[in-house]
Amino acid sequence: MTLESVARKDFRDAIRSRWLMGLTVFFALLIGGSTVLFYGVLLKGAGANSESLFGLTTAPGGLFSFSYAGMLGFVLALIALVTAHGSLIDERESGSLKLLLSLPNSRRDVVFGKLIGRTLVVVASMLVGFVIALFAMLFTGAQVAFVSFAGQVALSGLLATAFVSIGIWLSASSNTPRQALFGTIGLYFIFAVLWSTVATGIPRLFNWAAGKVPGIDPMAAEQIVLTRLFIKYLNPLRAYETLIAQLYGSAAAARLFKAGLQESLVLDPILQESIPVYLSGPFILVVLLAWIVIPPILGYRSFQKSDL
Amino acid sequence: MAAIELDGVTKRFGDDSGVLDSLRSSTEADVVTAVRDLSFTVEEGEVFGFLGPNGAGKSTTINMLLDFVRPTSGTVRVLGHDAQKESVAVRRRTGVLPEGYDVYDRLTGREHVEFAIESKESDDDPDELLSRVGLSQEDADRRAGGYSKGMSQRLALAMALAGSPDLLILDEPSSGLDPAGAREMRDIVRAEADRGATVFFSSHVLGQVEAVCDRVGILREGELIAEDSLDSLRDKLESESVLRLEVDGDADLDAVRAVSGVSSVDYDGDKLVVACESDAKTSVIEAVESSGATVADFETDSASLEDIFLAYTEDDREEVPA
Repeated sequence: MTLESVARKDFRDAIRSRWLMGLTVFFALLIGGSTVLFYGVLLKGAGANSESLFGLTTAPGGLFSFSYAGMLGFVLALIALVTAHGSLIDERESGSLKLLLSLPNSRRDVVFGKLIGRTLVVVASMLVGFVIALFAMLFTGAQVAFVSFAGQVALSGLLATAFVSIGIWLSASSNTPRQALFGTIGLYFIFAVLWSTVATGIPRLFNWAAGKVPGIDPMAAEQIVLTRLFIKYLNPLRAYETLIAQLYGSAAAARLFKAGLQESLVLDPILQESIPVYLSGPFILVVLLAWIVIPPILGYRSFQKSDL
Repeated sequence: MAAIELDGVTKRFGDDSGVLDSLRSSTEADVVTAVRDLSFTVEEGEVFGFLGPNGAGKSTTINMLLDFVRPTSGTVRVLGHDAQKESVAVRRRTGVLPEGYDVYDRLTGREHVEFAIESKESDDDPDELLSRVGLSQEDADRRAGGYSKGMSQRLALAMALAGSPDLLILDEPSSGLDPAGAREMRDIVRAEADRGATVFFSSHVLGQVEAVCDRVGILREGELIAEDSLDSLRDKLESESVLRLEVDGDADLDAVRAVSGVSSVDYDGDKLVVACESDAKTSVIEAVESSGATVADFETDSASLEDIFLAYTEDDREEVPA
């Protein structure tokens, strides 16, 4: 009950601040606008289908890969973090949190009410963009693969929610708005830029250590590549992208999307034969869902303990 | 049943560092004891004034009643509930005017009150509550971001009154209000008490509690130094007088303080104000004169509550030999 009223109040606040309006215009231009441009100008006429834009583009030999989803993922994550990172700490700083907690709202209601409110703001504005995109395709006569498109919209919603969750976590566990801001910038940088270094670095570090300690065997080449891939898809951004790739192709191809040439050569035969559980679609979906569930719980636990 | 019960409550800030805090080194100097071994009880239906100078620990105590802050040791019970474990149950029956709060800039006054009513699941009329605290219809339709401090204070009071709470906790309710507003605030406190609600409110100005309180507690440096009805506090200090001396030359204040029966010595403008037992007056004047100054004129009052309050809260009281 109070969870609902906190969420509703938060959503109403986003309407008043014109943040919802701003985001809606932004996504209408980004998703809707790019679709209109693509199907209306670049790819006119017969043969156009929804996969042409929303599917994957890979040059022969895997030298060049681009996905609309990858680009959208970066933007959605950033927008979600910006929307959520101040949600609790700003109220704590200004003192309006005291007003909120003077009423019979529990701290849990506040954390999860904010999570729901901010998620609705990001997802609702994003949906407007996708609806415009859908109408643009139907209007220009492009074939729409409805199942893939719907799956893509749903996954985008999940990714946005995951990053709102991460933002709530930072907001709930910070002591100052500055801390929350720097934490947000740092985490975004890790997810968007540094992750591949981490994914490459960990098996390399393991093998370096194995070389120093007798009795531990270093990983074989294919083990290294599999570990690297496993770590890669723990990143919600990469999980999102490969799950979308799977909507338009085989699981094996989706896992190797944007993989290096050498990596593909080693892994392709292995994945064609059978995909390990930790690289399967359902497992990666669970990873994405875990990013929605775990951060707010961590945030709540630290918020619960703190003196306001 | 007691409305508020504190038992051996101590709150230290700075020694329960979180994960992020532990990254920076914290020294002993960072640890501040805001409240020390505090025990008192407020009975149901009582109007209790919680007095003390700024920084005495009043807000920390109130924040512990509301679970904004957790006690380092001791137990806090409000309306029969554990203040920490059952905080929501406490706040369901409590109206709160917190200290250091802020309104939601973009919501109107009425929306604030509606939100409070919704949270408390009551069926109050928001406009009725708003007019009760002196906010007009036009004020109610405006966004609270444009409110003055006094209007915000009225709005927060209206939110506190939603749902006819059994207990009202008001932290410095008169701050930001003009004298007329402070009087309206007192009228509301009295009306709520007549309805049967317990009222617990803090102030650093005695004049605000004098007219409405059944009992007061006086807090100084985190410790409760007096807890009684105003009448018996008056009785205790009945024998006290206040001497106002016009003095030529510099009087030795320490010598005056050393006089038996003197409880405080201070300058009020150019006048020397001495609170002392009535029969110590002559000794006081002698002490002033023998320290090299001359008393040009003097007058005496019996102790006012303000003097009592000052006598209780003044810092150097402890140094005066009895």
